[in-house]
Amino acid sequence: MKLELESVVKTYGTQRALDSLDLTIEDTMCIALIGPSGGGKSTTLRLLAGLESPTSGTIRIDGNEIAHEYWQLREYRQRVGVVFQAFNLFPHFDAITNIALPLEKVHGYSRGKSLEKAGMLLDQFQLTNHRFKKPAELSGGQSQRVAIARAIAPDPDIVFLDEPTSALDPEMTAEVLEAIETLIESKKKLLIATHQMGFAKHAADTVAIIAEGKLVEVGNSSQVIDYPRTARAQKFLKAYLKF
Amino acid sequence: MQPFGESVNGVMRLFSFLPYLSKISICGLGIALMFLLGCSKGRDTQILVVGMELSYPPFEMTDENNQPTGISVEMAQALANRLGKTLRIENIPFAGLIPALKTGKIDLIISSMSRTEERAQSISFSNSYVHTGLCILVSKNGDSHSIKDIDQPGAKVAVKQGTTGHIYANANLKNAEILLFDKESAASLEVAQGKVDAFIYDQISIYLNWKKHSDTTRALLNPFNSESWSIGIRKGNDGLTTQVNQFLADYQASGGFDQLGDKYLSEQKREFKKLGFPFFF
Amino acid sequence: MSRWVSFGCAILLLSLFLHASFSALEYQWNWESALRYKKKFADGWIATLWISALSLFFAFLIGSLVTLCNRVRFLPVRYLSMIYVELTRGTPLLVQIFFFFYVVADAAGIQNRYVVGIAIMAIFSGAYISEILRAGIEGVGESQLLSAKAIGFTEYQTFRYVILPQALRSSLPALAGQTANLIKDSSLLSVIAISEFTLNAQEVNAITYSSFESFFPLAFGYLILTLPIMRLSRSIENRLRFET
Repeated sequence: MKLELESVVKTYGTQRALDSLDLTIEDTMCIALIGPSGGGKSTTLRLLAGLESPTSGTIRIDGNEIAHEYWQLREYRQRVGVVFQAFNLFPHFDAITNIALPLEKVHGYSRGKSLEKAGMLLDQFQLTNHRFKKPAELSGGQSQRVAIARAIAPDPDIVFLDEPTSALDPEMTAEVLEAIETLIESKKKLLIATHQMGFAKHAADTVAIIAEGKLVEVGNSSQVIDYPRTARAQKFLKAYLKF
Repeated sequence: MQPFGESVNGVMRLFSFLPYLSKISICGLGIALMFLLGCSKGRDTQILVVGMELSYPPFEMTDENNQPTGISVEMAQALANRLGKTLRIENIPFAGLIPALKTGKIDLIISSMSRTEERAQSISFSNSYVHTGLCILVSKNGDSHSIKDIDQPGAKVAVKQGTTGHIYANANLKNAEILLFDKESAASLEVAQGKVDAFIYDQISIYLNWKKHSDTTRALLNPFNSESWSIGIRKGNDGLTTQVNQFLADYQASGGFDQLGDKYLSEQKREFKKLGFPFFF
Repeated sequence: MSRWVSFGCAILLLSLFLHASFSALEYQWNWESALRYKKKFADGWIATLWISALSLFFAFLIGSLVTLCNRVRFLPVRYLSMIYVELTRGTPLLVQIFFFFYVVADAAGIQNRYVVGIAIMAIFSGAYISEILRAGIEGVGESQLLSAKAIGFTEYQTFRYVILPQALRSSLPALAGQTANLIKDSSLLSVIAISEFTLNAQEVNAITYSSFESFFPLAFGYLILTLPIMRLSRSIENRLRFET
């Protein structure tokens, strides 16, 4: 996966979430975006996932510019998967339908095949006994695993995860991180925004620190986290390094 | 409704905190209070409450200041003066007058009400003060000339709820479809628009409604029955009945009715003279 | 205290209240005369049933159509539906009945008052229903729309699979209430001499001078129609319940 963000600006009304962000990452499988809350890492992730368009600037993934036009952008979204912090499952469908419905309606699978694939994924994430439960009946960890299954069901090119464990307690966090690890092991391209430094260091290849809407530092994960070069990065990682 | 529901909720919550005995006693007090309130009926006997429907010009109507006025109102005032009481007029829809009288909400009905056998079973009537009859308002097209012409299969006849027109239609019209209205203006509008074929009501009202829709309706002003208007009094109130009858006799003798006729019905008096109908006081 | 005992106590208190109120009147009860006219009551009740059912059906059609029109990009259509909703909800039903029957229907030459009556109730309730649906739709969380976007749903698919099911569920109590309102509001059609339940009860009252003996069956008759709707709505809500 190759990422190129050139002079990307994103404003919401008067608020400047990304302030001319420049970021280039060559040839990597798993990228972690870290940084302070409100610093712009979620915004960056959303722009990369095609959920929003930048106010100005260009974004290229694997050499191809992400389009701004409605239909092309929608096509792009169909080729990537997104997992949100708040799970964002559909509460009126059970787990298996949450996964199967996009397969059937968006990717053209037959009803049978979509249910089959959904079932397989649920087995893979140890959720076989929960397949007919509605999200309200699932724990946070289980819901997030369903969300991950939903995201990877259509075999997306890239999977984006926006702080997937921030709403979970340590036990459930571990569950979900394990699930994400299996994704990485199966050679899926991943981009994850997270506060879990340990996970970022061990699971990701590249780490980028984004704060105040700008890129602070980027590089190999262990290097950036253990030996931050810029003062801003050092300030941010001080807390982690301390504890 | 919301604040009411919430306050009831609040009261109920408060209630549940009290010990059991207090609850019983409060319940008992509440019920006793309701009975007491219900039983006490001390009303000011210096007021004469007269019920009428104020939508029947020129007998019962309201002026620009929303005050009751008209022939019946002046009659009622004269009667109240005679009895030495203050007059209070209650504006009640016609069909609700008798129930109001029966339950004691009003003392008298002076609303151009005709005396009928059925009504006389529920209330008492004074002597009559107006003699009139039912007439018909028909649409200009069509050639109905009598009540018999109206009573055809497929015909639609409008009547006002609770009036003698309504009673007559129910009892005598075998073929026509009867439509009930609570407003005479709606009924006459329907005749004018051709939605119904006829409207049965008293002579003076048919005349007035015809004037309002003179290009689209005709009035058959020859009454096909005869009725007389009386004052309604609660059954058993014989003392009041005697007083009212006495008043009516005196009022007639002193020319009170003639004065009212000249004041309110001068045009009708002339028209009816032209058409050869007796004027009705 | 068991539920039935509490319920019984409530009914007892209510009956005592009613009894106390009525015994304060000097009222001669006259049930026989009202019973004589039981066919009138029955005919009127059936008429109300039919009128309500048909009006309800068309009201839902109109309401759904108007809700969709509210989201259309073509502005004149959107404004037209907004004006319709505001006018209908902001003016008395009585005025609308007179206007539609004596002016609009007359101009259009529609004579059948039952047809016009059903149309009036449908148009009247349709406005309220569209507002209820609109609130339900707008109540579906932003995160749901984001999810739908992320998985690549089109706007239509988002509406059909994500918004609509959730909007319908959350609108259900209000819709049941509006249905009950429609049934009761239909009594106002009596002013254009539609022979429905209320008019017939009023007629019995006018003939027999027995107001309460006519109006209690009237209230009871409407209860028979509205209570099942509320119960049905409750049971559907419970079956479809989920926490968001």
